[in-house]
Amino acid sequence: MRGQRLMPLIALLMPLCAAASGMTDSIFVLPATEVRANTLFSKEDAGMQQTLIDSLVLRNKLNQSLSDLLSENTPVFIKSHGRGALATASFRGTAPSHTTVSWNGIPVNSPMAGMVDFSLIPVYIIDDIQLKHGTASVAERSGGLGGSIGISNRADWNEGFSAEYIQGTGSFSTFDHYLRATVGTGKWQYRARGYRNISENDYPFINKSIGHVENGQMIHPVDTNKHAAYSRSGTLQELYVRPGTTHLISAKYWGQWAERSIPQVTSYEGPDDANRNRQEDTDHRIVADWSHYMDHGRLLVRSGFAQKEINYALKNQVSGAGFIPAIYSESKTQSHVNHVSYTYETNGRFSMDAALDINHHRVSTADTVNNTGYEKQRTEQSAMLAAHYTFAGKINVKALLRQDRVDGRFAPFVPFLGADIRLSDEHPLILKANVARNYHQPTLNDLYWQPGGNPDLLPEMGFSVEAGLHHQKEINHTMVNTGITAYRSDIDNWIIWIPSFKGYWEPRNIKKVLSKGLEIDAAIKSRLGPVSVRGNGSYAYTRALNHGDPLVWGDESRGKQLVYIPLHSGNFMVHLAYRNVGFTWQHNTYSERFTTTSNDVSRRNRLYPYFMNNITLSGDFAFRRLELTAKLKVFNLFDESYRSELYRPMPGRNYLVTLKAGI
Amino acid sequence: MKPRLLAVFFTMLLISTGCMDDDALWEREQSGQTASSEGVFIINQGNFMYDNASLSYYDPESRDLINDVFFKTNGLPLGDVAQSMTIRDSLAYIVINNSGRVYVMNRYTFEYYGKITGLTAPRYMHFVSDTKAYISDLYGKSITIVNPDKLEITGSIDVRNQHTDFYQHATEQMVQYGKYVFVNCWSFDNTILVIDSETDEWVDTIEVMIQPQSMVMDATGSIWTLTDGGFPGSPYGHEAPGLIRIDLADREISNVYQPGAYDSPRHLAINGTGDTLYFINRHVYRFAVFSEDGPGIWLESPYQATHPGGYYSIGVDPQSSDVYLGDALDMVQPGIVYRFSPDGSPLDTLRTGIIPGDFCFVQ
Repeated sequence: MRGQRLMPLIALLMPLCAAASGMTDSIFVLPATEVRANTLFSKEDAGMQQTLIDSLVLRNKLNQSLSDLLSENTPVFIKSHGRGALATASFRGTAPSHTTVSWNGIPVNSPMAGMVDFSLIPVYIIDDIQLKHGTASVAERSGGLGGSIGISNRADWNEGFSAEYIQGTGSFSTFDHYLRATVGTGKWQYRARGYRNISENDYPFINKSIGHVENGQMIHPVDTNKHAAYSRSGTLQELYVRPGTTHLISAKYWGQWAERSIPQVTSYEGPDDANRNRQEDTDHRIVADWSHYMDHGRLLVRSGFAQKEINYALKNQVSGAGFIPAIYSESKTQSHVNHVSYTYETNGRFSMDAALDINHHRVSTADTVNNTGYEKQRTEQSAMLAAHYTFAGKINVKALLRQDRVDGRFAPFVPFLGADIRLSDEHPLILKANVARNYHQPTLNDLYWQPGGNPDLLPEMGFSVEAGLHHQKEINHTMVNTGITAYRSDIDNWIIWIPSFKGYWEPRNIKKVLSKGLEIDAAIKSRLGPVSVRGNGSYAYTRALNHGDPLVWGDESRGKQLVYIPLHSGNFMVHLAYRNVGFTWQHNTYSERFTTTSNDVSRRNRLYPYFMNNITLSGDFAFRRLELTAKLKVFNLFDESYRSELYRPMPGRNYLVTLKAGI
Repeated sequence: MKPRLLAVFFTMLLISTGCMDDDALWEREQSGQTASSEGVFIINQGNFMYDNASLSYYDPESRDLINDVFFKTNGLPLGDVAQSMTIRDSLAYIVINNSGRVYVMNRYTFEYYGKITGLTAPRYMHFVSDTKAYISDLYGKSITIVNPDKLEITGSIDVRNQHTDFYQHATEQMVQYGKYVFVNCWSFDNTILVIDSETDEWVDTIEVMIQPQSMVMDATGSIWTLTDGGFPGSPYGHEAPGLIRIDLADREISNVYQPGAYDSPRHLAINGTGDTLYFINRHVYRFAVFSEDGPGIWLESPYQATHPGGYYSIGVDPQSSDVYLGDALDMVQPGIVYRFSPDGSPLDTLRTGIIPGDFCFVQ
């Protein structure tokens, strides 16, 4: 009931904030060039743990997927189903749908399944990427029980005309093409990007799931990762206009067409023309922004549209009938997204944000073989009000309230309270802490999937606290940034799909999850004589435990780590540059992962610790206006035999050569 | 940063890179045990696409259980979704659905003997003779004919129909009466197909109710089949489930029990004397085939009424009539098998592999 009263109050306050903008100040002016915010001690981000990905990392992983970048450079754990295949995220031990993802402010999460396939997001289309850990994500929207990932694009107002082309050739018939052109003046900028990635993905492996006996010995054949080809083509178009010093208008379009096949299980010994599948993902996203910078505030109006189509077919050769589908599933989601926000600031000590979002989703999914499926719509409204205050430049406080309405019903109220405390003037040591509540709405599949969808599901509820210390210091021309954060998150009504005696699965609000852990990150920037050195590393300790009541006698999942979540994960990247030559070493590690909810310790049901090393050698050359960059990337440097899931072997050492030409 | 410090840093990193121990996945402790003269194999399906099916063996006399016995004996994982098992003489034939194969092993020593490959989505195997067997198929729209002696595919029986709205004639369990083999078709279907095992042709179709899920033959030579009625909102239709008796002499439905309370009965099983049926409908129901009364609850489900779970599988020992009930729990942890005497007394509790889905008794 309290939430119902707050909604009109927040709506009422919004025009009041707008009216207050008439007061004079000169804080809000349109930036001449984009400045990346220092979020470490900012009252607007008080108590929020955030990670901005280094632009060096973005450049180095330009031809990879966001799934690679997240697993190798952040504490986010990525569960990958194989090279080029579905990759989902677990942030702070939560489920894939608990990480909210946005592209230039519009949601990427599917309203149908809730999760995001990070293998389908190329790093090439990203200019900035920001992670908000845990409940820091409520600043954007609710639902991110694990956190949020925001990817965005921005204009470079310094550019007149520039263009670049990158070509990559790699192992397993992998070919990449990237093309970008920018044109504009100080008043407007237009940039177009296009890309195409294709791979046969036919790497060899010793198939220990198949054997035959020769001379009394079990022989395992050398096999090929068959029927695993993938391709991805897309374009990103951006237009930025600033008609005066107080207005910025932008429009962006991202379209992508992806196709892939999921290989048969490695033990498959059926006919080669059976059990064949293919998935096509087609995405269109368009967003327009208008920012108006005033004396005391900034008004942002945003409207966007997203459409995603997924077609999946499983086909078999049937004697006399040809290649016929056993499953042919067609899903389509359309989302209209609208956002208006106003930021008000006075005298540098106090500011307020107010935002209103109205989103509408339309989903249709059908299996044309058996005529099952559903069509549903959902309307989401969200009002947010946040106040920020700084006390003598030593303490920042942020209080945020968010109230959502879903299909006319008030969703759980979302409050957030965060603070930063500057512990010392001499040593830039900052304590950040927050306490918050968040919730996650059941997905439309959870509610309406046929058969099994459960319309009576309740939202998943999260309550979390966290505190961290952050330090930044320059010692002998070496810049060192370090941070450590401890968190605890209790999630009730966690939705899981459980088998029913009816022979199909049903989602229920039965699990309680306690997720607690530590996140440590460090970055260093230095010089060793003529060699510049940069290093980034992160470590996460993630204890994500099932605290729900046992299903029945004999259920041994209570108190156990959630499946596929490593207790320890870490990564580091070291980059050395000498004149025009660069060397990058990327390492990441996960401790063992259980594949059973009971954490069965038998080797058959757990994945051993994972250690992966990739290196990159690069050289930059200039020929008049033409700038050339050549890169050699070596993945799986030590040629390890490993698998990402049970019995899903991954490739050995493999290579990619890229050449970039730019003017 | 001092160079010495950097050198130490790099050395530490090199040490920390380590190696992944993929070979550990294949290490095994050979059980060295052999099967007793009477016992039961528990076929653990494993998770779809995880290749983690397994086979357990239980000796009811000694109460010894050996889990993952096929892998431990042979160093070879069973495969993806083990569906069923059939024993013929000294050999056991394990049908592995999503691996498209049948593994053959010595039923006493568990040693690998051979395999039948090239199957689309095999479900069950039925022996017509020592040199001919049928294998039903989920997607093949045919029944595969194999020579179990030579482990070869020798032909197929086309069971395609003209119905294009649904993927029909996904063949399941098989029972034989005289020269005719009866096959139930469950998914979006309502038929039992009749195959002439001499000509290897589909010769007749018996229409029952929606989705005949399982099928057994009683002591009188009648077939009993359990239809689950589909699911609410199914485009194929949804109706109350039924327990149907088919008189094989005229292939007519002679008896139908259709109590509305049975919202989704599954897994029909019969005792060794062929006079008592069991099935799962959250609880375990029992029914004497000559009885005038309908089926009644024999054992209650251990799950709370608000939980949709229940027993997952059932097998009845043809010698002792002991009832084995599989509980797959959440399907992502090793399951449990309960053994009960025919009077419902608990006899043993076994922790098996993931999703104990079927039982095969050694006689």
